[in-house]
Amino acid sequence: MTGAELVVKLLTEHGVHSVFGYPGGAIMPIYDALYQSPVKHYLCRHEQGGGFSAIGYARASGQTGVCLATSGPGATNLITALADALLDSVPVVAITGQVSQAVAGTDAFQEVDVLGLSLTCTKHSFYVRDVADLADTLREAFALAQSGRPGPVLVDIPKDVQLAQVDYQPLHLTATTAAPDCSGLATQIAAARTLLQQAKKPMAYIGGGVHMADALPELNAFLAATGMPSVTTLKAMGSVEKTNPLYLGMLGMHGTQAANLAVQQTDLLVCLGARFDDRVTGNLKKFAPEAKVIHIDIDPAEINKLRFAEVAMLGDLKALLPAMTASGNYADWQTHCAMLKAQHGWRYDHPGERIYAPLLLKQLSERMPDNSVVSCDVGQHQMWVAQHMRFNSPRNHLSSGGLGTMGFGLPAAIGAKISRPQDTSVLVTGDGSFMMNVQELATIKRFRLPVKIIVIDNQRLGMVKQWQQLFFAGRYSETDLSDNPDFVSLAAAFAIPGHSISHKDEVESALDAMFSWPGPYLLHVRIDETDNVWPLVPPGAANHDMMTDLPQWEE
Amino acid sequence: MSAQHTLTIQTRHEAVAVERLLQVTRYRGFTLAGLELKPLADVSGLLITLSVVSDKPISLLVNQLNKLYDVLNLELHQAEAGALRA
Ligand SMILES: Cc1ncc(C[n+]2csc(CCOP(=O)(O)OP(=O)(O)O)c2C)c(N)n1
Ligand SMILES: [Mg+2]
Repeated sequence: MTGAELVVKLLTEHGVHSVFGYPGGAIMPIYDALYQSPVKHYLCRHEQGGGFSAIGYARASGQTGVCLATSGPGATNLITALADALLDSVPVVAITGQVSQAVAGTDAFQEVDVLGLSLTCTKHSFYVRDVADLADTLREAFALAQSGRPGPVLVDIPKDVQLAQVDYQPLHLTATTAAPDCSGLATQIAAARTLLQQAKKPMAYIGGGVHMADALPELNAFLAATGMPSVTTLKAMGSVEKTNPLYLGMLGMHGTQAANLAVQQTDLLVCLGARFDDRVTGNLKKFAPEAKVIHIDIDPAEINKLRFAEVAMLGDLKALLPAMTASGNYADWQTHCAMLKAQHGWRYDHPGERIYAPLLLKQLSERMPDNSVVSCDVGQHQMWVAQHMRFNSPRNHLSSGGLGTMGFGLPAAIGAKISRPQDTSVLVTGDGSFMMNVQELATIKRFRLPVKIIVIDNQRLGMVKQWQQLFFAGRYSETDLSDNPDFVSLAAAFAIPGHSISHKDEVESALDAMFSWPGPYLLHVRIDETDNVWPLVPPGAANHDMMTDLPQWEE
Repeated sequence: MSAQHTLTIQTRHEAVAVERLLQVTRYRGFTLAGLELKPLADVSGLLITLSVVSDKPISLLVNQLNKLYDVLNLELHQAEAGALRA
């Protein structure tokens, strides 16, 4: 077979049934091999869309997402998605075509040094020189994408390698999935247990690493056994069981007041698969100032990177959480945390007739089917999704965290729908972000993907506008989008029906209409451009110094 | 207080391995103070001596370099605690 046929063979060997991509000269042999192959190719309308769909596919399912692009502009268009996958630790394999080696390094047509470009935005990248190495390289790429801390891996394949002849040697699986072992960590485990027994005010700070370690049952058992209150990062929302009374929500810049205040008071911060990101800590020096830290991660480079840990453990949370379960007397602290939570509940009794996005999202959360995957874009609407929707798994909340990439949402929702066809895929996007990958409506049209799109339209780049209002003296430089297109007509051009609402009494029937329609649907929601996201920890401030507009209290 | 550190690193025999080392060194905020490299006798890899200066703990760089796929072995050769005067 040819190298190109071998690529397709290896995709099937790895259980890859769906790939996202866009063809071009240097990858034509692979596209030829895909033609009538068992691997289903989803034609995106921009390689960035293909990359984000692969991410959505991966994040919604836990499987590795695969995207394809041609050399030069095809590959450069993938870069943003690779960076997004790197910062959010998403297993993705990107396969790019490259010019033939005979002309490599001559500034050939559509030649770009993709290996060089990818260095800073992949976990690793390969350039395949010899077709004899192709199979091993691809197998290594799939293994790397999923191993340890997951991430994107790129494989750049010159056209001559794709065309060369090679034999397929099936992989003789010596599948020994060793049970996670933490016997080497006995000293640290004992130290962690002692800290847990001595603590009066412990707090679990839960990141995306927990669900990626497949350790959600162990996490919830640990929280139940210790009685420890908990907070999550953006990526970990949905990790803690909805019934847990001591779960205080998301912490950080737009976290809940209860979460931020409690973390500032804790005497023992138990950091599980999280990385002290600046959006989480606010002013790092003033973050959880009273706390000793237990930090568990799979990535050695995260330990002591930003915050010293009294006890650090490098290993598998699935084994470590049960091993370190120990408890002290936290009764007063539990009461205190429950009180903070009650005191600072959200308030939805917004005056007037117009639509208040937080309330709409709460209604959406209550009305959508339980199995729904919600993808969102970046901005105020993204933070409202995190604050006002509840998820029963982190796989049901896809949000671009580390890179904060506008344009993530629509293609991610497409990838989510393809990886979980039985489940409902909902997109909550902003009028700015939606336009960044709006071409993917054509992908929805072609495959009749029943994605439910909600455009929260404030006619602004709202999050930037909010900062201009608060920190740049109201000088609204380039954040006005009041000449937005008519989104419902735009959807109609892609054969997607839609409806526009602007009054709060229209919300429930509009949501019901959207969910009862069998196909894709766009709900355009007009909101007031003056609505802002609260609370907000201003840049440089400690997390207890939150700015609040409306008090958050019990519904 | 800046300190100089020297690392001995064995990598795969690929030019890109050196690019990766330098990129991580720069990005993580370490100043290059010396670089020597030669192929291993059996040409299976490169032997690199990398010296860096920084006021950050060297463990931050070591941990990041150790994650590189191309890095096969890494030793912190010497950690001179002495301050470097400007
Ligand atoms: C690709 C990209 N460019 C710029 C930004 C900076 N940015 C962050 S939020 C935002 C505004 C987003 O507007 P919209 O999608 O309408 O969301 P809103 O904040 O109004 O809810 C911008 C420009 C970004 N995050 N990503
Ligand atoms: Mg907007």
